[in-house]
Amino acid sequence: MQSWRRKSLWLALSASWLLLILLGGFPLLRPAVPPRPRPGAPQRWPRWLDAELLQSFSQPGELPEDAPRPPQASRGSSSCNWETCFDTSKCRGDDLKVFVHPVAAGPISETRRKILASVEGSRYHTFSPAEACLRLFLSLDPPAGECSPVPTPWNKGRNHLVLSLHPATCPRTFQLGQAMVAEASPTVDSFRPGFDVALPLLPEAHPLRGGAPGQLRQHSPQPGVALLALEEERGGWRTAGTNSSACPWAGHCEQDPAPEQMRPGETLPNATFCLISGQHADASSRFLQALQAGCIPVLLNPRWELPFSEVIDWTKAAIVADERLPLQVLAALQEMPPARVLALRQQTQFLWDAYFSSVEKVIHTMLEIIQDRIFGASAHPSLLWNSPPGALLALPTFSTIPQNFPFYHLQQGSRPEGRFSALIWVGAPGQPPLKLIQAVAGSQHCAQILVLWSTEQPLPSRWPEIAVPLTVMDGHRKVSDRFFPYGAINTDAILSLDAHSSLSTSEVDFAFVVWQSFPERMVGFLTWSHFWDEALGGWGYTAERANEFSMVLTTAAFYHRYYHTLFTHFLPKALRTLADEAPTCVDVLMNFLVAAVTKLPPIKVPYGKQQQEAAPLAPGGPGSGPKHQPPAPDCINQMAAAFGHMPLVSSRLRLDPVLFKDPVSVQRKKYRSLEKP
Amino acid sequence: WDRGTNHLLFNMLPGGPPDYNTALDVPRDRALLAGGGFSTWTYRQGYDVSIPVYSPLSAEVDLPEKGPGPRRHFLLSSQMGLHPEYREDLEALQAKHGESVLVLDKCTNLSEGVLSVRKRCHKHQVFDYPQVLQEATFCVVLRGARLGQAALSDVLQAGCVPVVIADSYVLPFSEVLDWKRASVVVPEEKMSDVYSILQSIPQRQIEEMQRQARWFWEAYFQSIKAIALATLQIINDRIYPYAAISYEEWNDPPAVKWSSVSNPLFLPLIPPQSQGFTAIVLTYDRVESLFRVITEVSKVPSLSKLLVVWNNQNKNPPEDSLWPKIRVPLKVVRTAENKLSNRFFPYDEIETEAVLAIDDDIIMLTSDELQFGYEVWREFPDRLVGYPGRLHLWDHEMSKWKYESEWTNEVSMVLTGAAFYHKYFNYLYTYKMPGDIKNWVDAHMNCEDIAMNFLVANVTGKAVIKVTPRKKFKCPECTAIDGLSLDQTHMVERSECINKFASVFGTMPLKVVEHRADPVLYKDDFPEKLKSFPNIGSL
Repeated sequence: MQSWRRKSLWLALSASWLLLILLGGFPLLRPAVPPRPRPGAPQRWPRWLDAELLQSFSQPGELPEDAPRPPQASRGSSSCNWETCFDTSKCRGDDLKVFVHPVAAGPISETRRKILASVEGSRYHTFSPAEACLRLFLSLDPPAGECSPVPTPWNKGRNHLVLSLHPATCPRTFQLGQAMVAEASPTVDSFRPGFDVALPLLPEAHPLRGGAPGQLRQHSPQPGVALLALEEERGGWRTAGTNSSACPWAGHCEQDPAPEQMRPGETLPNATFCLISGQHADASSRFLQALQAGCIPVLLNPRWELPFSEVIDWTKAAIVADERLPLQVLAALQEMPPARVLALRQQTQFLWDAYFSSVEKVIHTMLEIIQDRIFGASAHPSLLWNSPPGALLALPTFSTIPQNFPFYHLQQGSRPEGRFSALIWVGAPGQPPLKLIQAVAGSQHCAQILVLWSTEQPLPSRWPEIAVPLTVMDGHRKVSDRFFPYGAINTDAILSLDAHSSLSTSEVDFAFVVWQSFPERMVGFLTWSHFWDEALGGWGYTAERANEFSMVLTTAAFYHRYYHTLFTHFLPKALRTLADEAPTCVDVLMNFLVAAVTKLPPIKVPYGKQQQEAAPLAPGGPGSGPKHQPPAPDCINQMAAAFGHMPLVSSRLRLDPVLFKDPVSVQRKKYRSLEKP
Repeated sequence: WDRGTNHLLFNMLPGGPPDYNTALDVPRDRALLAGGGFSTWTYRQGYDVSIPVYSPLSAEVDLPEKGPGPRRHFLLSSQMGLHPEYREDLEALQAKHGESVLVLDKCTNLSEGVLSVRKRCHKHQVFDYPQVLQEATFCVVLRGARLGQAALSDVLQAGCVPVVIADSYVLPFSEVLDWKRASVVVPEEKMSDVYSILQSIPQRQIEEMQRQARWFWEAYFQSIKAIALATLQIINDRIYPYAAISYEEWNDPPAVKWSSVSNPLFLPLIPPQSQGFTAIVLTYDRVESLFRVITEVSKVPSLSKLLVVWNNQNKNPPEDSLWPKIRVPLKVVRTAENKLSNRFFPYDEIETEAVLAIDDDIIMLTSDELQFGYEVWREFPDRLVGYPGRLHLWDHEMSKWKYESEWTNEVSMVLTGAAFYHKYFNYLYTYKMPGDIKNWVDAHMNCEDIAMNFLVANVTGKAVIKVTPRKKFKCPECTAIDGLSLDQTHMVERSECINKFASVFGTMPLKVVEHRADPVLYKDDFPEKLKSFPNIGSL
């Protein structure tokens, strides 16, 4: 009897032990890593072999050595991470080359077509499977519901990325092996951080490129706008509650028991915060709507991984809160400091526009994340991902130091350099630009002069005596060469010039000082403006003088040297070819590029000679042309199509010296020669 | 115990022989585990906290910070008891690159009484540890039997950039710390390429990483207290995510935090013209002049509302019927006290983002000039956009700042007697003005405009925009230009304000520029009637 009792006690004890071990092995908590069997790691109480070692914290002495351990071999597929399952040695020169597995014959769905076009338009794409270091496999098309078979060669999924822009609607028919998964809104449990890529859940009709801009028209919330919008069952949004979003602005809050306003059927919410609960299957598409609308997403325990969470700091644009504390969350929203509301609102718009507004941006962001993993230390710093203009427009191949870009001086507490390089393009026969060289070299800010000799004409025998170095480079007779990132350009600022340009030292000095205040913009002398032509149903542009402008001519303009890198390595080759074939387009293209990056107009500074000379700077771009001849009208429309939208922004102002043409003695004026009639 | 719910377990040095568990050798259940050597297989992402393996040398050895820059050795390995395969790889690198790679090991023949933990040897050369780490640019931190190594802490303390070679190791506090800024992580497989990988990093980036490594050690590694506080902060931020510490606060070294500016209106955005602006006129009792200002301002097309701040408590504002009839709503706000700060109060009545602050005697601005000012503000919504410009100068003789209102080629302030700005700055002025500046302004009845200029420049890091040419303004200091009487006391007072504010801000935030904004065709040889803003600059 006694022994039986002892036995049952023993049994009960072992059973509870077993339970404990099981619970220990498979924690019931969320979020937690999915259970991964670890062979040969039995759970037990420690044997305290470390006792001696632990002592060493209080009595620093000789640390016992760790027992050596051989390097780990690659693990199985169930436990993949970047180090063990991706072979970076296939990416020669750290370059990502992406090959897309061909699709089986049959109709290609719209989504698939957009993805293919995006990948093929990327600078990472290759048609050669041998060259590829990443093989992309488009997993499935939801409408057809047909699951694709395993591609060949599959190679156990090594260096493969299985892509699905929609959550899996049919079960995967093949073993993932070592393949990475890029999936829309993956569940937190299945997502492998640092290996898989979380994509946004895009609507069917998401545009290929360009895409709708963010809805935000002003920085701060409008007074009286609802504090909170809630999702509706049928896809709309319902704004709820008081106009208390205005209350933090006034500095005093009172509870206003106003009835709920019902605005059914709205596709985009109009409120300061958008509450998105984690339960609904479409929560992540609601998330995108909120982002576009500039409505700060408030997520209650999302069960899905936020898109591009590897690189995007979502704490700057969204609020992830605990659904168990609804009152605390509501109070926190009501009392959120205006500075935080402002910052969150603006960040939603920046992120929407940089990474989400088109299929192309989403796909390119995905590839950029993988390229960053390959780059390792040379990847984008976090600042470049999380502040305008975003990582797709800030190439780490240019620099990984934020101060080298034109965009981050404020955040870094730095200033652009106080010198510039003049780059003079000689593309047409004529007198060598000796006078121009002298005027430019006379500027106290001029570091060097580079002459890009792009004509058959022999070089002049003598160059003017100047105080700064002058280098002649041999051009390739192509207009797009003007914007090549030459190694000789060693200053932040470039003064781009044409041999026919005519500038005074004063003009150069003043324009450069202005550029230092706006290092991300182009600062120029002569302008063009664009307009919508109702009759033609397209864009047009003109060199006529007008009350506003949206482009400055690059035949005399200051800008940051980073734009040469973007022009050459970011723009699609087709656009550069277009510029080479119709040289007048090159100015338009450069202005498109800078405007697309900055979302701001260029800056015009005074130019004294425009009244006297018939053709001071040929508006037709390099090479001479009649003054007001509008350049080939169609390049602007081709470029707007390629960009997916019209990036140009108009300005109605000119920046003049503070005392410009003021009725005060000319002796007091620093830039007096700007005023000579 | 409650199955570990709401428990936090500190596991300073996990694992013991033979299998070196990277988590805990007992079931952790629901307890949060703060552990010193997690691998991705045992780390519960977003739940556990990966902490550093504390190095006793942190407290024992005082290594003064060494400035960034190239050091004697490019790459150093200082760990003892490395696996022979790793050691072979490292020695191969040393053989190939000579002096620039140094691989150290345990000293075998040290005299009695010398702590072997504080010495490292290469052949017969003996080096002091951890001092030798300061002689290297990069320092290898390899996995041992344990993933987490105390060497990481020593390396950071020495301002050496750690090269972490330990696949699946979860770096300390990786939930919040951006290790890309302070370290290089190399897969074990690529160990033989480590030299070329490091050489591709530009020198300037290396220097940033050296600074960052030292800062991480100072902030989060140097004591058990620092480690514990960082762990608690991470858990606190999970519970109160809307009040969490930002990426910058975790990662930016103090020098960057001090010099960097995060503009509250950073999104490049040109607000729609249709929104218009709210004009706020501060007045005391100059009713006749006030009415003229109202009439003039009401002619500006983009005006959407007019707010009169009646600052006189002894006198009632004129009756409703006496006010000029204008096309936009006109509202009178009565204040409780005659304070200059009242002009910058964030009144509920302000519905537009753009605010025009205008004095009750500014009658000389034309409608074109005001409308143009609003257009300029739309292009620079994060700046003060104003008419009369002023400058601050450093007086070398007196060693202090001086206020300047003469005809200068530069501006650093605009007077808020006529200026456009974003209404958010009203909120900042009223609730976030540093120190006692607000009280100083109200006590002296002066310099509210200089205070606003300081505030906006400090928070945005940007200069003001002065619009349109200089005009004759009726203001105390303009009399100097008119050649009547130089109001010396006024200028002295204004200079005093600048010095006072600069000391409160701890810096001189004002930015000097040499430009002003004019309409594109201003003074151009172009038919006046075709210009958008012809009536600019008339005296």
